[in-house]
Amino acid sequence: MSILRPREIASLLLAGLLVVLMVTGNSSSATAASTSAQVSSAADGGAFSASKTITRVVKGLDGADDQVDSRSFTLNVDHTVNLRGRERVGISWSGAHPSGARAADPYGENGLNQEYPVVIMQCRGIDNPSLPAAQQLRPETCWTTSRQQRSQATDPSLAVWMHDAKASDEDRQLKSGLRDLPAECSDAATDATHTTPFVAASGKVYAACSGSTMPPEAAVGAAFPPAELSAYSDANGSGSVNFEVRSATENESLGCSNTTPCSIVAVPIMGISCDDDDYQCRREGRFEAGSSNFANEGVVPSVSPQYWWSASNWDNRVTAPLTFGLPPDACAVLDKRAPTAFYGSELMNQASLQWAPAYCLNQKRFKFQHNRIGDDPAYVLVENGQAPAAFVSGTREIEDKTTRIGYAPTAVTGFAVGFVIDEPNNAGERTQLNLNARLIAKLLTQSYTGSSRGQQRPGIEKNPLSLNLDPEFIALNPGLDRIDREAAATVLSLSESSDVIKSLTAYLESDPEAKRFISGTPDPWGMVVNPSYKALKLPTSEFPLRDTFVPTSSLECYIQNPAPYFSQLASPVNSITKIASAVLDAWPNVQTKCDRPNAGDPFKVGRVERQGIGTRFMLGIVSLGDAERYGLRTAALQTSSNVSPSSQFTSAADRRFVAPSTESLTAAVKLAKDKGSRSAFDLTQPMLRKQPAAYPGTMVVYTTAKLRGLDKGEAKKVSEFIKIATNEGQTPGSGNGQLPDGYLPIRKTGATAALYASAQRVAKLIAEQREPAAPATPKPSKPAAAAQPPVASAPAEVAPAAAAPGSTPTDSVVATDATVATAAQSSGPAGVLLPLLIGLAVLAGLGGPVTRLVHTWRSR
Amino acid sequence: MNTPLNSSPRPAGRKRAALAALVALLSSALLITSARPAQAAYTQIEGSGSTWSQGIVAQWISDVDANGMKIAYNGAGSSQGRKDFASNVTDFGITEIPYQGKDEFGAVDTAGNREFAYMPIVAGGTAFTYQVKVGGKPIKDLRLSGDTIAKIFTNKITNWNDAAITKDNNGRKLPSLTIVPVVRSDGSGTTAQFTAWLDKQFPSIWQPYFGKTGLTSYYPKKSGTKTISAAGSDQVMNTISGSAGNGTIGYVEYSYPVNKKYPVVKLLNKAGYFVEPTQYNVAVALTKAQINSDPSSQAYLTSILDGVYTSTDNRAYPLSSYSYMLLPTGAKDQRMTTSKRQTLADFMFYSLCEGQSKAGPYGYSPLPLNLVQAGFDQLKKLSVADPAVDFKDRDVTKCNNPTFVAGNLSKNKLAEIAPQPPACDKVGAGPCGTATGTAPTTPEAAKGADTPAGAAAPGEAPVAGAAPEAAPVIDPETGVAAPAAASTTGEAAVAVPTELASGRPGDAKVFGALAAIELIIIVLAPGVGAVYFRRRARRKLGAVS
Repeated sequence: MSILRPREIASLLLAGLLVVLMVTGNSSSATAASTSAQVSSAADGGAFSASKTITRVVKGLDGADDQVDSRSFTLNVDHTVNLRGRERVGISWSGAHPSGARAADPYGENGLNQEYPVVIMQCRGIDNPSLPAAQQLRPETCWTTSRQQRSQATDPSLAVWMHDAKASDEDRQLKSGLRDLPAECSDAATDATHTTPFVAASGKVYAACSGSTMPPEAAVGAAFPPAELSAYSDANGSGSVNFEVRSATENESLGCSNTTPCSIVAVPIMGISCDDDDYQCRREGRFEAGSSNFANEGVVPSVSPQYWWSASNWDNRVTAPLTFGLPPDACAVLDKRAPTAFYGSELMNQASLQWAPAYCLNQKRFKFQHNRIGDDPAYVLVENGQAPAAFVSGTREIEDKTTRIGYAPTAVTGFAVGFVIDEPNNAGERTQLNLNARLIAKLLTQSYTGSSRGQQRPGIEKNPLSLNLDPEFIALNPGLDRIDREAAATVLSLSESSDVIKSLTAYLESDPEAKRFISGTPDPWGMVVNPSYKALKLPTSEFPLRDTFVPTSSLECYIQNPAPYFSQLASPVNSITKIASAVLDAWPNVQTKCDRPNAGDPFKVGRVERQGIGTRFMLGIVSLGDAERYGLRTAALQTSSNVSPSSQFTSAADRRFVAPSTESLTAAVKLAKDKGSRSAFDLTQPMLRKQPAAYPGTMVVYTTAKLRGLDKGEAKKVSEFIKIATNEGQTPGSGNGQLPDGYLPIRKTGATAALYASAQRVAKLIAEQREPAAPATPKPSKPAAAAQPPVASAPAEVAPAAAAPGSTPTDSVVATDATVATAAQSSGPAGVLLPLLIGLAVLAGLGGPVTRLVHTWRSR
Repeated sequence: MNTPLNSSPRPAGRKRAALAALVALLSSALLITSARPAQAAYTQIEGSGSTWSQGIVAQWISDVDANGMKIAYNGAGSSQGRKDFASNVTDFGITEIPYQGKDEFGAVDTAGNREFAYMPIVAGGTAFTYQVKVGGKPIKDLRLSGDTIAKIFTNKITNWNDAAITKDNNGRKLPSLTIVPVVRSDGSGTTAQFTAWLDKQFPSIWQPYFGKTGLTSYYPKKSGTKTISAAGSDQVMNTISGSAGNGTIGYVEYSYPVNKKYPVVKLLNKAGYFVEPTQYNVAVALTKAQINSDPSSQAYLTSILDGVYTSTDNRAYPLSSYSYMLLPTGAKDQRMTTSKRQTLADFMFYSLCEGQSKAGPYGYSPLPLNLVQAGFDQLKKLSVADPAVDFKDRDVTKCNNPTFVAGNLSKNKLAEIAPQPPACDKVGAGPCGTATGTAPTTPEAAKGADTPAGAAAPGEAPVAGAAPEAAPVIDPETGVAAPAAASTTGEAAVAVPTELASGRPGDAKVFGALAAIELIIIVLAPGVGAVYFRRRARRKLGAVS
């Protein structure tokens, strides 16, 4: 018995442990586990699952039994094959040690001060001992964004890795890892140092002992944030994250590509196994499971993620192999062809990005380019001939009545309310959110007070501070925390005019609860609309900042920087993509931070800090394309309710909430009615309300171009674009010319058949450019509203709702012009009458004498 | 079924393991993956800095996405951009001003040890946008002199009814309304451009306020004044355009008001004209920029703008300037690799050539060809640092850019075709009464548009009913302004002059007919009358006799 040394007992124990590796495909193909981490099928994206028994063995002292902690750790990755750069894969796990000391930001070096997290990294190579060493992954090929995550120098008393039961003799030395450190490392002779160099795909070895000896892609605080993280496990040892993979395009040093395989490595930290009596090595964590560590206090080294590379931690790893797809071919920068620029809607962003190479790579096609600007200005450019085509989402009035403009349906997509909200007690992220129109109306009309400063606002003192404190929200989304936050008092939106805002506000307008709220009727709990927004006319394509209230304060910074508080809360931005990245980063655009860098400096206002993971709560208006591209969660919007607008409720019962999906977009687009080639389809919010399965944020984007008077060559290109976009451009996929996620394919048959047919028809009309000119005598004063679809077909009972969209939002230009120009009003009858009257007067004037003359002549 | 994940929990012999590791290291070093796909010639690059030029840079970034280039840009302000670049956080930076040596807080503002070069990327005008409502309607044609601007932003002029403002607007008096200057709270190149101009042109106003000489990236806000600050150009724009914004005025690049359909101040230039920062007026002004033309200087291609401020061209917009990229030119740059340099080189090749053609519509002004050429020479330093960077066939003189004069480097086509300002924009004349903030894309439109449709550009809808060319009430011979139509009535009416439509086509016939009839009457009446009266007299005589 006593022949065996404790360390060997540990290793025997380990060898005897049943190490399980089960690989399954999807639920259907969960057949046999194979001998290595192979992924079952590429067709289903290669879902990965593997289990393993992980252990920590701490040597028993004074003859006591060894303490053995053993858990069955299971790692799941939702897809692993044909990945693209920056694609996010869903990772979940169970069976880990519950975590403590949660960091506000678990990424990169910010996540180091945590206890018992799961370190998730991307590493070059495959975890298969039968492969040549160069193709195997090892700590040296695992990417970290900072030196602190891989190389440590510390007082020897804290160098827990030297006591690791599995450490090699070399690793037990004062200096281990990379030898012959470069001078930049300035390694103190007395420190215990372990250096884990990074070996780049090129073979170059980076010493990784200081900021300057890291690979070029590693920079703390860069525009391109770390993807690797120390993820938090809940009290049951489960957790989940979205992990962003990087290809060679984003990270050349890591170098993952279709030819260089890589893996995701999960190292569940359960504490270093120790084979001696070292106090630091044997320690358990000092933070309670489920606790947070937003103050970034120091943690117990033996259970921190800092030493993930230490042998006993590293041995507990589970790895999921990844394959990367071929990068799409790209346009040549030397292409001399002038691009044909289409202007307009940001909803097309993701589609345009994938479509553009399908044009430039084909010499027979023209060079397509999409210039993103607002729908209205884009349309004006088409109307006055400065752009061949524009992407817009609704029919517009024509300034010059002789112009003929066609609308070709090009994409079915829409907007969503993107969110990032954490469950209380570090229990992960909320995945589903229900919002009704009234809640969105409350957010947009700035009716939540945000903080004690906002509570000073007369008229809304009694309103909830933020969305998560509103009983209506709580009824629809139970179980979230009740911490008041300024960021939860607003939804990040667009500052500029957009059809997205028009569609969103039309949704509010058509909803009885939201409409009543905005018109001034308190909600059933007594919350009232911010008086500045009372009876705001909706829909509008530009949501105004109307509240002018400046709170008083005794704080010097606020006294020196008086500003309208609610505008600072809302702080809309000028591009919808900026909103997506703000939600992605959980970085609200609330501009209420008021401080100064140093005591002598002036006070300044600015954007608040990024939200800490565990207490995130942020909403933003995003496009469906961006939401899919960045993996943002999107709220389900209420489509119908059997609850009276004036009665309180405590659950989501009798209400239907619909999230954006293929089904809900299909249900919506089925309702669209063709209104002819010179108009967008009729798809109004009142119509959408009739179909509770339809997603209210559904929007159709049209390519608009002149049907006459457009240059023939340009016309041909626009027509060609429409045909390509509505045929090959509607094949879902991530390849060149294909339709990305977030768009519903327009097909020849089914719900989108009418859109398809219309697109082909308009493409032909644009190519022909033979649309007859406007009739010489247009119908007398055709009202502008006639061009607006809702009026024509609105069902009688929703007439008020339908009438508003008909009102023209574009009158501001004339109305707001400072110099009031008298309009050139001519009166036709007057124009005729004036000469007539003068003629008469002349006649009359002459008539008197003439008759007299005649009379005198006669009487002679 | 179940397999041990790791068959060797402990290496049999540690020395052998070490040897294996060494072999692994060596072999991976040898395996300089020749198998990299040909397409991956580009690697993602990162940059940060200016919000002044972010509008156009963001569009360029999405344009080159089709070329397989991935670029991450963070508009954190020029000061942050310089700082990030210096500390190797980014691959490039964008800033309006060069490194200053020391910032106003005494902190170091240099590139540190990083080798770099300045490269101009786009030109533009720092515009003053405002919200001033009269009778509930926003004024859109405000004119101000630099002197007045300086006094406004140093809290010397605090009310919109100030005599100086009335004078700038040729007697058109605004109502009593407190002026709220909006400045940037973050370290900003826009602030630096603005304060550099204040310092050079209005030292007696600026320096006592600032307390020292020179420019600053952090606008000094005095307590007790109405001045408010906001972070980033977006938020300055929000502050001004919000309902609480009545009375505000702030400075941003022209593209921001253009996108927001907001008016900008027509700024007085040395020639005595009030001009808008259109792409034309900016191009004209920048012909006077003194570009450092010593390629051996670290400050090569940076500009001294004194000549721009004082340009006597009728069209010059005084607050015109360039935005610069900080290029990492060091051969041993710790962040740069061949493919990153290639990405940066081709991104800039696109931006300096084709990308310039959309500067105008986005509210910027394209670079003249000589600067593009010089910039491209700077870019070539990337291939000097790393000969593997491919620069073949990237010929800027054959750029797909309509604003270049092919074959003539020194010609600046925009400045040549830039229209003269209308007479009503001269000191002592006007005001013209035409809306601003429209980013005209044709000289005709920039001129003030005979055809309202031609004036439209991104961010603008034509001003209905106004015929700007004919609108000003000015004697075309003398340039002397007739009194504003409504100047004799009450104050409120002065602020909203009624501009008479110059002609109504429908009326022409009517008045034509009227004139004809009148002519006939004038010609015939004396004769007919004479005959009539003679006859009558004869009759009477006859009757008597």
